[in-house]
Amino acid sequence: MREQLLVLQEQALVDLAEAQGDALDAWRVKYLGKKGELSLALRSMSKLSAEERPVVGQVANTVRETLEAAYANKFADWEAKQAAIQEEKETLDITIPGRTSGVGAEHPLQKIIRRIEDIFIGFGFTVEEGPEVEWDYYNFEALNLPKDHPARDMQDTFYLSEELLMRTHTSPVQARTLEKRRPEWPIRIIVPGRVYRRDDDDATHSHAFTQVEGLVVGKGVRMSDLKGILLTFAKELFGENQEIRLRPSFFPFTEPSAEMDIRCIYCGGEGCSTCKHTGWIEVLGCGMVHPRVLEMGGYDPEEVTGFAFGMGVERIAMLLYKIEDIRQFYQNDLRLLKQFASLPE
Amino acid sequence: MKITWNWLGEYVDLTGLTPEQVAEDLTSAGIPVEKMASMNSGVDGVVVGLIESVTPHPQADRLRVCKIDTGTTKLQIVTGATNVQAGQKVPVALVGAKLPEKHIELANFRGLSSEGMLCSASELGLDDKFLPKDQAEGIWIFPEDAPLGENVVEYLGLNDMVMELELTPNRSDCLSFRGVAYEVAALYSREVHMPDADASGVATAGDKPLSVRIDTELCTGYSGQVVTHLVLGPSPMWMQMRLLAVGMRPINNLVDITNYVMFEWGQPLHAFDYDAILNQEIVVRQAKDREILRTLDSQDRELTSDVIVISDHKKGLGLAGVMGGENSEVTGSTTTVVIESAMFDPMTTRRTSRRLQLRSEAALRFEKGLDPDAVLPALHRASALMVQYAGGELVGAPVITGKDLISPRVMQQIHVRTARVADVLGYVLAIEELEGFCHQLGLPVVREEAGLRVSIPARRPDLIREEDMIEEFARLAGFDRIPSTNLEGVLSHGGLSKTQKLRRMARDYMRNQGFDEVWTYSFVDGEVHRKLNIADDHELARPMRLLNPLSEDREALRTTMLVPLLDVAKYNASRQWDSLFVFELGTVFLPAAPNGDKGMVAPVEKKVLAGVAYGSVAKEPLYAGRNYDFFDIKGLVEGLFERLGIKDIVNFERMAYPYLHAGRSAEILVGGNPIGKLGQVRKEVAKTFDLAAEVYYFEVEMDALVQMVSSHMYVAELPRHPQVERDLAVVVNRTLSVANLFSTVKAAAGSLLESVSVFDVYTGNHVSDEEKSVALRLVFRAPDRTLTENEVQTAVDQVLSQLNSNYGAVLRK
Ligand SMILES: [Zn+2]
Repeated sequence: MREQLLVLQEQALVDLAEAQGDALDAWRVKYLGKKGELSLALRSMSKLSAEERPVVGQVANTVRETLEAAYANKFADWEAKQAAIQEEKETLDITIPGRTSGVGAEHPLQKIIRRIEDIFIGFGFTVEEGPEVEWDYYNFEALNLPKDHPARDMQDTFYLSEELLMRTHTSPVQARTLEKRRPEWPIRIIVPGRVYRRDDDDATHSHAFTQVEGLVVGKGVRMSDLKGILLTFAKELFGENQEIRLRPSFFPFTEPSAEMDIRCIYCGGEGCSTCKHTGWIEVLGCGMVHPRVLEMGGYDPEEVTGFAFGMGVERIAMLLYKIEDIRQFYQNDLRLLKQFASLPE
Repeated sequence: MKITWNWLGEYVDLTGLTPEQVAEDLTSAGIPVEKMASMNSGVDGVVVGLIESVTPHPQADRLRVCKIDTGTTKLQIVTGATNVQAGQKVPVALVGAKLPEKHIELANFRGLSSEGMLCSASELGLDDKFLPKDQAEGIWIFPEDAPLGENVVEYLGLNDMVMELELTPNRSDCLSFRGVAYEVAALYSREVHMPDADASGVATAGDKPLSVRIDTELCTGYSGQVVTHLVLGPSPMWMQMRLLAVGMRPINNLVDITNYVMFEWGQPLHAFDYDAILNQEIVVRQAKDREILRTLDSQDRELTSDVIVISDHKKGLGLAGVMGGENSEVTGSTTTVVIESAMFDPMTTRRTSRRLQLRSEAALRFEKGLDPDAVLPALHRASALMVQYAGGELVGAPVITGKDLISPRVMQQIHVRTARVADVLGYVLAIEELEGFCHQLGLPVVREEAGLRVSIPARRPDLIREEDMIEEFARLAGFDRIPSTNLEGVLSHGGLSKTQKLRRMARDYMRNQGFDEVWTYSFVDGEVHRKLNIADDHELARPMRLLNPLSEDREALRTTMLVPLLDVAKYNASRQWDSLFVFELGTVFLPAAPNGDKGMVAPVEKKVLAGVAYGSVAKEPLYAGRNYDFFDIKGLVEGLFERLGIKDIVNFERMAYPYLHAGRSAEILVGGNPIGKLGQVRKEVAKTFDLAAEVYYFEVEMDALVQMVSSHMYVAELPRHPQVERDLAVVVNRTLSVANLFSTVKAAAGSLLESVSVFDVYTGNHVSDEEKSVALRLVFRAPDRTLTENEVQTAVDQVLSQLNSNYGAVLRK
């Protein structure tokens, strides 16, 4: 009986080695099923003597375990093979582009404004705003530019009425902020916004453009503080090694007034066509707040002093991104804009 | 303002300085030198020659053969020019000479050798617009007194540099060589020497052949000198060349002299015909209203009373400071003139010159304000030059009148505290150094208790208060000396306001949804509402208009973002963009109601987040298939509100807009307040922007949302018991809105209902044409127990019976 079981096992294992797919199931039924050969063989155990029975029973169990384990192995193998075949069938061309709702682009001017805002927020500034349609008083008079002042020629103005105009700079927000906050200080604000000049549009002029204004008023504010903050700002925006210089200039609402130049970011100061071979690029006007402006805003220039600065966002964007025509910022050509969907900052 | 190096050198010693260095130093002192160029653009080896004879070329009709005397040699030169005659002096380029665009070699023209070339002005690299036409087109004919054989570089003064100064409006004192000379003198501690009246410029006392009466306060000083025996002719070549270099066209000796002195002193002068003055009395007065005056350019000008007129008893002779009258013009027959050197009100001359569009160098100087200290020296200087270069003879002493010229002037005093200088600049300048700067600037200065008292001469009207002097000190010391320091004092907390943060959040959200950000202009065509199908009396059709627009298509302030965004769509659609998703957070300007008789009121400016979209939803063509539709844009807007945490208080209501599809548009309400709209742009409207596809639009007033958005949140407790879902398909009338179904369901289901959503809307064969089937998914849950079948069924039954009684809804079989 024992020999008979071992022969059965031998035969079953041989058959199993050759079984595939449905034949595997048939094998299982044939050898391990209720009416399978192992069961049949065991049924004949009743003919055995009481002494033989446990011995043969043990052999029979071993044979069953061996066959079941062999089957499980074989079946797992087969399943794995099947899965592999299936996956092979389902293989994709993973080089085909993925499905996306797309990454929207940030407008280059918005990007520059956001960067400037974040830099000055880091310095403890808040962001102020003002109307684009402005009163003559805030745009000019409160900034030490009385009517008929020759310096008004510097800015050709769009008028809506005798007194209402499109602001020509963000500086009226200086006057508005002084009026709103007096007599409190310190004031530390920046003012991004759209401004308008009556210029025909061409590669370097736009009837609408963007400025960021800055104003600091407080006790003991010095021109050296202005220089310090502008230097830090220039390093943050243009790079750690950026140098600046101040040159005397004129604005009716600052005294002393200065232009800030940065070291040419293209040639590093060697001289190139962008910097007109001077090694420097003008990016910003600034100065100490004119005592008249403080007085008109309700502050005593003997008690507090201040500085102000203003920069053209388009100009900075043109420098940083090598955009040659200012009109491109407002043309909204997707071929240009979509380039701004990506980093770097 | 242009200057030349050699001309400047007449007033301040430039020894040891180079134009490059002075240009750099002026620039860093606040007088930027924009351009610098040599007057010689490459001329070498050209001399003044005399044409001895001109004969036709025997072999060529168009050529002439000239015999030339250069003083040292005789040459034969063949020329094609037609304006040459024997006896003329001309520029002769010798063999080996260099011209800006030519190199001269021995040439042969049809068998005759040509030993050089006769030159035109443009061949010498000069602007020829100042020459008479025949000379501009042909050879430049020099005056008879041109020195034979002299190098033309010497003769024309071409060894000179022209510098163009970019002056800021406060430095109108540098609109003269005198002003620039003072500036250079200050930079290098040198002296200024002006050619004031020498003996020939001041007439000896004598009967004045002229009287002047000032009848207006707008003239504060008037001086005149009569000069006779004048011979009109060209001015000396050096003077012509200098005027040309600074951008002034030479005309004749009298006019050139007045212009030359204007550049020298900054004081505009005018010469007019003495014989035109009735009774030899000049009256300076304001014009009568509607008075007509014919100006030099032969135009009749109608005047108003705010114009200053130079006149005699009968007639106007000129517009003060702006342009002379035709009746007193200096002509070839003029022998006696009055040189006028006067001061007129800057604002008035500015207004007049602007109104009549006569913007001259003189008007420019008048409107910036003149230096009373320069009026008489300029008169004397011009008088002297007329004696010297126009054969003139002075008649009598000059007439001088007006308060600025007669009364003694007191110099303005500025007190400068040395401590204040340090406080403003952030570093200490010693009082000795400050004193030194005053000396360099030519400003009288004395020490006083806290610092200095500085006297300001009239030539520096820009120096008014202490800060102005601090700026002078700072720039003479050099801005480089200002250190970089950190702000001291109270720390301030920086950051964005809640409104600003929301705007950033909205922009980020839009970009994350794949929308590209655009920036459009604020100005639009004032009639653009017609393209949007908006009636003329609609609020959006009455924009604020510019008084002085640059063009009709940018004449009004936009009232909606739709127009600029459709323009963006149009621009890109015409460049083969089959789909587009763009947004802008921009300003619209809505006219405010007029405020009584207070005149125009500022508009209401609103920040609006708006977007347009058309084309395939998928960005890759591979996945294309579904085009952007109403629910995409609605979902976009809902997502924004979800992001802002206010989705629960948002409603959409059907609303008709002239430019949106009547069946596919909605008003957006937040907390019951309308804050925006969305929908499909009407096909006809899209067509006016050349857009063929279905275009979708939305707009949301951003700043209106700020109040609604809370600054804080608490999390809701997580549910502990399972939910029970029930799906119901109900058949209802096709026009019934899902929103109505939802609100009925919510009201009827009671507190156990957690949410309701729609998962299918069916129209078609299985329902009638008037009906649709809406599949709803109801989710029930109790916070404290697991719901029983009975509880859920009761709620569902209530829902069904309410839907039935409200809308006749029945369960779909
Ligand atoms: Zn460069």
